[in-house]
Amino acid sequence: MSKDILKVGDQELGSRLFLGTGKFSSTQAMIDAVKASGTELVTVALRRFNRDQAEDDLYGPLSQLENVKLMPNTSGAMNAKEAVRAAMLGRELSKSPLVKLEIHPNPHHLLPDPIETYEAAIELVKQDFLVLPYIPADPVLAKRLEDIGCAAVMPLGAAIGTGKGLSTAEMIKIIIRDANVPVVVDAGLRSPSEAACALEMGCDAVLVNSAIAAAEDPAAMGAAFKTGVEAGRMAYNAGLMPTSEVAVASSPLTSFLSSDD
Amino acid sequence: MNPESLPTWLNPEPWLDLEFTAADIERAIGADTPNEKTMAALLSPLAAEYLEPMAQRAQAITRRHFGRTISLYTPLYLSNFCNGGCLYCGIAGDRRAKRAVLDEAQLRHEMEAIKSMHLEELVLLTGERMPEADVPYLKECIEICAEYIHNVNIEVFPMSEPEYRELAEAGCTGVTLYQETYDQVVYEKMHRWGDKRDYFSRLNAPDRALKGGLRTVGIGALLGLADPKFDILCVYRHAKYLLKNYWQAGVSISFPRIKPQLGGFQADFPVDEKMLAQYIFALRICLPETPLVLSTREPQRVRDGMAGLGISKMSVASKTTVGGYSDDSEESTEQFEISDERNIPDFCKMLRSKGLEPVFKNWDSTYREPASYEKV
Repeated sequence: MSKDILKVGDQELGSRLFLGTGKFSSTQAMIDAVKASGTELVTVALRRFNRDQAEDDLYGPLSQLENVKLMPNTSGAMNAKEAVRAAMLGRELSKSPLVKLEIHPNPHHLLPDPIETYEAAIELVKQDFLVLPYIPADPVLAKRLEDIGCAAVMPLGAAIGTGKGLSTAEMIKIIIRDANVPVVVDAGLRSPSEAACALEMGCDAVLVNSAIAAAEDPAAMGAAFKTGVEAGRMAYNAGLMPTSEVAVASSPLTSFLSSDD
Repeated sequence: MNPESLPTWLNPEPWLDLEFTAADIERAIGADTPNEKTMAALLSPLAAEYLEPMAQRAQAITRRHFGRTISLYTPLYLSNFCNGGCLYCGIAGDRRAKRAVLDEAQLRHEMEAIKSMHLEELVLLTGERMPEADVPYLKECIEICAEYIHNVNIEVFPMSEPEYRELAEAGCTGVTLYQETYDQVVYEKMHRWGDKRDYFSRLNAPDRALKGGLRTVGIGALLGLADPKFDILCVYRHAKYLLKNYWQAGVSISFPRIKPQLGGFQADFPVDEKMLAQYIFALRICLPETPLVLSTREPQRVRDGMAGLGISKMSVASKTTVGGYSDDSEESTEQFEISDERNIPDFCKMLRSKGLEPVFKNWDSTYREPASYEKV
């Protein structure tokens, strides 16, 4: 069997689990979880890059990891202009072509602004970024972002940090059905079983942060998500049994129909 | 004056005298969609018996939303010149206080000291509006501080929207402004003269700050001045009002508590540690996403215990004298006494021992420009 590689733009990834790097109890706990999760793509907020103090810097230790690609994110940006500026600075510091475009003007619920995200994506694609926008689970917006050249779309399962799982499942299914770029469920997942569900549904990957960082044992939870994501993907590839609302009748209603006149 | 004349968005009257049963408290602790009634239940005397389950719930919510982290900041006193008439304040106009104001060279010394501690978030403080420390002075100070660190905030006198805008454009990110007390009768008694007597001008200052382009506002009541249940309910309602009306605003809440200080002011409604904890847990349960802040006014034991238990942000290594960080200016009178005098390494060590990561930089100067609420 050939290896199940996920392609985001020209980037190849062997793991379908992406990790966020905030909220951990220490940088070491975060690194341990990243390693245990088997992820090959982590995102780190530009605002947590700290060139003046190594101890407070998330970027430095992550950049040392082998086989892990770095994707700076624009968390903290309130509008397109700020996000573009943050993305540029992030690329300058990390040399990564990837950017998680994240614009949440409301610092409390952290839900993404579709309008500013769309505008920033246009500019960032122009600037040759591989843009992975964090978006509401809106099928039309997902297509619009694909049309302008985003490398993937990342609809939310639920609001960041809520652990409410795949609350937007029905919309995500439509996004997956229509997409020509990878679909990554970003935010809201609480458990490996939900990650498995997302992959079974046909999502190409999931991005997880709070569920791992806020677990009792983040590294163990990272490993659990790894297994969940792998199981979900295997099940998707294996082809799930169709569901049915009605039992198949033993005396079919259509047995009277004949094919010869 | 009486509370009836408070605006409806603030007036806590309908929830003040509700009676609650044990079942009400239990339901409130687990509430999915908390509201004023939830808040009132959690502030009730009966809820004091549920401090442990409230703490458990508050910790779980804090961990989910803020992770295992505590954001750090430090205050920087620019000036203690003040003509204010605050009955409870150590640097009020009628106190025999040693007054000082930082000049540019002194401010740069302070900033070098702060920068060497790797702090990236700062709150600049002054007394009331004075010729020694007015808006043009603040603007200069903000510009200087912004050269050194990412996140510069102010905790000064209320000002007009254009003045706030000027400071936002100079690089100021947020403003902290406590109403002190929301009880108008007590407010009038506590503020004996000067601009600060205008209750509503102060109440509406966060609105002006946000309209002026600042991104965050910190609110709070000086606990001990008036009935704390009244004040905390008002803080809750004030926060909700701001969140609804300025949807891009970051709103945080602090819990200053009256401590003995110069002038020997005694609180009429002393708030003990258990009450303080109850208020913090109640606000965490009812405002799950709002940063809750605890300063070095509180003793080490309370700070260590409350970190992550509702509290998501803390000041550290604070000096409340003018020129306190570089220690090269004349000694001035401090506004209040610091209870937790630990240095940054010791404080961070404590946080880490509790499985909490101190976060020094949680913001980037890339985002430093005035916010806008203008509808196109």
